Amino acid sequence: MAAEFRFEFPLPLGLHARPASFIQEKCQDYPGEIIWENQRTQKRAEAKSAIALLTTDTQHRDLCRVVVRGKDEEQFAAELESFLLRELPLKEEQALKVEKPAEAIIPVVVQGQPEVFLTGQPASSGVASGRVVVLGRHPDLSGYAELADRKAENSEKEIESFRRTLEELQKEIEKELKEKTGVEKSILKAHHSLASDPALSGRIEELIEKEKLSAPAALVRTVSEFSQELLRSKTQYIRERVADLSDLARRLLEKLGCEKAVGQGTELTGPAIIVAEDLWPSEFLDIPPGRILGLILEKAGQTSHTLIMARGRGIPAITGVADACRLITSGDEAIVDGNRGVAVVSPGEEVKKYYEREEAAEEELRKIRLKKASLPGATADGKIIEIAANIGHPEELKKAWQDGAEAVGIFRTELLLYGKPTLPSEEEQFLLYKRVAEESEGRPIIIRTFDIGGDKPIPCLKLPPEPNPFLGYRGVRIYRDYYELFRSQVRAILRAARFGKLRLMFPMVALVEEVRWLKEQVKKFGQELEKEGLDCRADIEIGIMLEIPSVAMLADKFAPEVDFFSVGSNDLVQYFFAADRGNPLVKHFNQPLNPALLRLLKFAIDKAHENGKWVGLCGELAGDPRLTPIFVGLWFDELSMSSGFIPEVKAVLNRLQVKDCQKLVARFLEAATAEENERLLEDYYQQQFSPELITPELVILEADCSSKIGVMQELAIAFERAGRVESRAVFEQALWKREQDVATEIGFGLAIPHCQSGTVRTPSIGLMRLKKPVDWQSKEGQPVDLIICLAIPSGEKVRPKLQLLPKLSRKLIHEEFRDSLRQATEVEAIVSLIKSATR
Amino acid sequence: MKLVAVTACPTGIAHTYMAAEQLERVARKLGFSLKVETQGAMGIENELEQDEINEAAAVIFAVGITVQKPERFEGKRVFEFSVQEAIKNAEGILQKVKEEIGG
Repeated sequence: MAAEFRFEFPLPLGLHARPASFIQEKCQDYPGEIIWENQRTQKRAEAKSAIALLTTDTQHRDLCRVVVRGKDEEQFAAELESFLLRELPLKEEQALKVEKPAEAIIPVVVQGQPEVFLTGQPASSGVASGRVVVLGRHPDLSGYAELADRKAENSEKEIESFRRTLEELQKEIEKELKEKTGVEKSILKAHHSLASDPALSGRIEELIEKEKLSAPAALVRTVSEFSQELLRSKTQYIRERVADLSDLARRLLEKLGCEKAVGQGTELTGPAIIVAEDLWPSEFLDIPPGRILGLILEKAGQTSHTLIMARGRGIPAITGVADACRLITSGDEAIVDGNRGVAVVSPGEEVKKYYEREEAAEEELRKIRLKKASLPGATADGKIIEIAANIGHPEELKKAWQDGAEAVGIFRTELLLYGKPTLPSEEEQFLLYKRVAEESEGRPIIIRTFDIGGDKPIPCLKLPPEPNPFLGYRGVRIYRDYYELFRSQVRAILRAARFGKLRLMFPMVALVEEVRWLKEQVKKFGQELEKEGLDCRADIEIGIMLEIPSVAMLADKFAPEVDFFSVGSNDLVQYFFAADRGNPLVKHFNQPLNPALLRLLKFAIDKAHENGKWVGLCGELAGDPRLTPIFVGLWFDELSMSSGFIPEVKAVLNRLQVKDCQKLVARFLEAATAEENERLLEDYYQQQFSPELITPELVILEADCSSKIGVMQELAIAFERAGRVESRAVFEQALWKREQDVATEIGFGLAIPHCQSGTVRTPSIGLMRLKKPVDWQSKEGQPVDLIICLAIPSGEKVRPKLQLLPKLSRKLIHEEFRDSLRQATEVEAIVSLIKSATR
Repeated sequence: MKLVAVTACPTGIAHTYMAAEQLERVARKLGFSLKVETQGAMGIENELEQDEINEAAAVIFAVGITVQKPERFEGKRVFEFSVQEAIKNAEGILQKVKEEIGG
């Protein structure tokens, strides 16, 4: 006899580790057998094993059958059924409250494929593919893999020692469990149930006994077998349990007396995609340029200097990729998609083809960027604004010039100190700055002296910990105490200034007295050098960062003391609104368009100009092309940014009229809130930059796409190429989202993919004709050979252009019109057909 | 025969208007009087007056989302279809409505 029941699996994320461990917990003490059978996947498992349950690949709403055999089976079956349908969903709901969704965009091409993909956050745009080198801090199980064949003659003894070790580990986890709460506790619980899993220990003991393997070897083999199984799952949650399994195995291995794995590919011998928990800026810098194809990081913050530098170098990167180091193995082939925040491991043909096209598109777009990069740093009516790059290392200069930088607006020298065991000598620094001066071929370079403290602790310099480092001991404030550090740097800069156009800039100045003191020291160092017979430029231009509001309010008094100012917008904004920029709870105070901030800037810039001094901007804001008209209107003389942003900023700058920008700023200054200014800016863009609905760039004739995926990709690329969308990845996703509601095939061989999305800059129509029809995956399944793509910006209800799209839609119902679109031989003819239809 | 219709789809820039156009076109061909209100990204256009609704023999919804101002249609016979159906088979829809109301 047996008792059984059937049910639809209720959890939206499928049966993953946490619920599996709850089920195991529920079942493990039952004296009898409980078999779980997923009727979709046809897989069966003993419900007392969490791992076995995972391998049934049970998804949301899969029909499952549970059979109970043993004592009081009817009663237990009823109990279990009620547990699965009522208690389990509640437990899951509670657990999910604390978990955040990833921000990644998973391209449709990957969704339908069997390969493993990992998600994180996009951190540096672009696409790269190649071999992986894992630099993760945690040794990888593959490092132990050589153990996997080690034999043990006395299997009884080996099993005994394995059981003892396992028990030890279970006890250890139980102890840890008592100290933890919340999510950490539930993760540990899952680990504990893995450690108590009969399927796992059963297989290990089987291998020890039958194949005479040593316990470590049997463990490594078993874990790799189970991992393979888990990695086949469609649910990311389940795939990621591999990490827990490896983690557990590692702890066991260490207990079994195995050394930590060593030498697992830490030497980069050729270009590779680097996978790491995090990468210190110095580690990043120590890797020769060209060796890093892409980065897959577990924990690096979006504003970490490593990622800032990766952006500077144009290296595709993603971060926040949970357990990347353990899920990816050195030697794997992988693709990093920095536009979408996705990595694909061992990609198959379909995915490769998609990404080859993506890489080619990146290249096309890069060429378009180059064209923009070579534009002059000036408005349409000729006001010159120097467009400069922010760098952290001389290595970044080459890319900066390629991107169209005309100068370096800030060289953040403290990045040279990270991870170094000792401070660099004056001579070392001199050679470095000299190299920068020489490589710049007469372009001006602003070297910002060490800004240490605050969020930038330096290991080689033991600064005292502070309760509030941002408002504490940082920048020039430490120079009196760390005088040698200050002295050697300034001396090195003065000496290097003979080889190019170097300028000196000091961080975190708040008081006029500070500037006076700094200048005295510079003068003194110059005299010293002269006495020592070392050539230098003591008449170097000296500027200060404008990042503390006091400097802005007293700009007229600072101006006679300095040659220039450079606004550090990141710090200025946080000091001005008294809101830590790294604290998500006060993120909304980061308001670059707030009239208070704009008034402050206007005041400071005007005072500087009255005194004949120029003002630059070197914070993150400078790189946002949307804000360029404001900076022109405020009369900034220089804008310095991560060089990747330069082409787009130049392209916008070259279309601006100074008068319009000034008018715009005048209105901005009178607003009460940042939100009002957002709207004003939006309107300004619509008036100034509003292009035609369709241009020849948006028409693709006789395209050679073999699937709907290919069509959507080509459309997205065309729209980005034409500058119609900010991000083709977001746009493509928005189009797909609409398709997934109901496919937009409407009969007549016509499909009209469309979307309303924030990434769309201006209402647009694209048209594509195919060589061969493709399946549009619609209900009726009619093939499609004519595609019309409609894109509108979000929040746009009443814009005049929007009225034109319905006109076109109505026209498409008429056969004559469709025929004329199919028969036209020239792109221009199609453009005018569409235009006349929307008139 | 007098009919009124409402078309509406999630994005409201394409299907809403195609369905409207198709229904109007086929109605003309079949000799029906049909006024179509569109509820799209532009808001409500060609809005149906209460008189027009009252006079109509039936109401056709060709929609993928909830109809706005539904109270206007209370007590009327409403035939609901998907927007896709209206585009692909407007003739079938109109014939079906005609049979159902015995017109």
